[in-house]
Amino acid sequence: MSKKNQDQQSTTRIFISNFLHNPSGVIGLAIISVMILTSIFAVQISGVAPDYIDPINSRLGPSWSHLFGTDQLGRDMFSRILSGGRQSIYIGVLASFMANLIGTVLGATAGYLGGKIDTVVMRISELVMTFPQLILVLIFVSLLGQGINNVIIVFALTGWMTTFRLVRGEFFSLREEAFVEADRAFGFSKPRIIFRHLLPNTMSPIVVAFTVNIAIFIIAEAGLSFLGLGVPVTTPTWGNLLTAAQNPVVVNEYWWLWVFPALAIAIFVLGVNFVGDGLRDVLDPRHKSLITKNKWKTMVLSRLRRKK
Amino acid sequence: MAFTISALIFFASRLSPIDPINAMVPPDMAADSANLAQLRQELGLNDNIFFQYFHWLRDIATGNFGYSLQSGQKISEILALRMPATLELVLSALILSTILALTLGLFAGAKRGGIADKLSRVFAVIGIAVPDFFIGLALLNVFAYRVEWLPTGNRIAPGQVTFWDRFPHLILPVATLTIAMLAVLIRYTRNSVLDTLNRDFVKTARSKGVPEWRVLYSHVFRNSLGPVMVILAFRLPLLVGGSILVESVFQWPGIGTTIIAAVSASDYPVIMVISMLIAMVILVASFLVDIVKSILDPRVRLGGGK
Repeated sequence: MSKKNQDQQSTTRIFISNFLHNPSGVIGLAIISVMILTSIFAVQISGVAPDYIDPINSRLGPSWSHLFGTDQLGRDMFSRILSGGRQSIYIGVLASFMANLIGTVLGATAGYLGGKIDTVVMRISELVMTFPQLILVLIFVSLLGQGINNVIIVFALTGWMTTFRLVRGEFFSLREEAFVEADRAFGFSKPRIIFRHLLPNTMSPIVVAFTVNIAIFIIAEAGLSFLGLGVPVTTPTWGNLLTAAQNPVVVNEYWWLWVFPALAIAIFVLGVNFVGDGLRDVLDPRHKSLITKNKWKTMVLSRLRRKK
Repeated sequence: MAFTISALIFFASRLSPIDPINAMVPPDMAADSANLAQLRQELGLNDNIFFQYFHWLRDIATGNFGYSLQSGQKISEILALRMPATLELVLSALILSTILALTLGLFAGAKRGGIADKLSRVFAVIGIAVPDFFIGLALLNVFAYRVEWLPTGNRIAPGQVTFWDRFPHLILPVATLTIAMLAVLIRYTRNSVLDTLNRDFVKTARSKGVPEWRVLYSHVFRNSLGPVMVILAFRLPLLVGGSILVESVFQWPGIGTTIIAAVSASDYPVIMVISMLIAMVILVASFLVDIVKSILDPRVRLGGGK
């Protein structure tokens, strides 16, 4: 048992050190951590509460006292964008987690069992995938109503297909492996084989899909809230801040009201994607196809060295 | 398949907690409960739910889409009014983005690190990180307000005006949608081209002395179209659904804006009909993909098994 623990520890350590040597992963991680921290300590950093109304100073352009300007009610945009990150990131992460959970459970069961269940779930996933996502989201929102939790549920229900396909594919190839046959010979129950023995082997694509989904959901939240159908306007999210741009006057004259929230989204999403790329490089060597030969060689060598 | 979808759409709409009668009748008039009950009876809402479903299905199949709860207009009339706008927008963006993505993707894949490759990388980053309505807003701000070259969208219906009067209104929305669609398409084309370049028959063609442009065009290009076609097919439902965000930014009177209005007013008949149509297009699209694939690649021709 202690041997196993040690092994696990060292693989984790190798993984972490590999990830820290991956430039895009580190940059992405830095961006994300900074943005998460600033959104948690939004009020302390900006010095103003996001909903503090100051009508005299409304619609001011960016200046030193209001870094990103103020909105129609004189609320400080810097503070609103920082605290808007809280809800946006929360929605992105939680929705992505739930979508991954659905996708993983379905993918694992369908991939291992195959047959009729597999065909049915596959059909459903194809259907959901081809349906334009936003329209599907809108239909669900019209059924469930608005609100943060409903948005998360809707995103999870409409975004599980990528993970499902990845996990299913992995299970298809894994279930023929010798150790699974051994499991079966031992008479282990199907859930035990699927979730205790096979699932840990498919963790890397799941982790990568998790990061990619966060990015997708944050952008989707922005779109939904921009239409006024996402999170209720009273809670600031990046998407809700963009709603101001529904008004042509704002688009024309008060550019800081929509450029800065969009920038916040773009930077965070890029950060998440960088981390995703980094994780993919570290976790899954098959995806390194675009790497030059030399890098490839050093990587293989370092791997061989590690084996010793 | 079509029946399953229609059943799903129908029962989902009936499961919703919102009562269509409440959505239809303004609250101050709702006091008269006798009239409400009569209305309920007339609309067939008291019937067995399965009976309602088949009734609805028969209506849809015969082209009777019912009425909008919101405006009382015939849904078929709304569609006839809004559909051309969406088709105009999405079709031109679809064609433009496909042509651009295929050429850029081909060059980017053929010459890695070249101008086309760098350009495609820029587009890919934009497409991943920037919400597509923000591209629209930025274009609006610069071209419509700052330099005032182009109008702000706002489609002009065909009729009294010439094509050239209407054309400028199309430019910004189409450009936005094209850029938004371009990113994924370029990446797929590029990767697919790279994959094909490594295949043996390309080496064979080159060693036979076939000119490079012919290798690229007739060997690489044709063979890398397959995966790109699948992505394109995923886009086809947009022809019916419209691009909601872009239409909303440019106040484009298409299906996308119709859906938004329908969702915010819980106008179920409209939502149901539009989602039904989209589902139909998806089915047709997946069928089309099979046909196009068989044209491009003789090996997958139907019935031509080994």
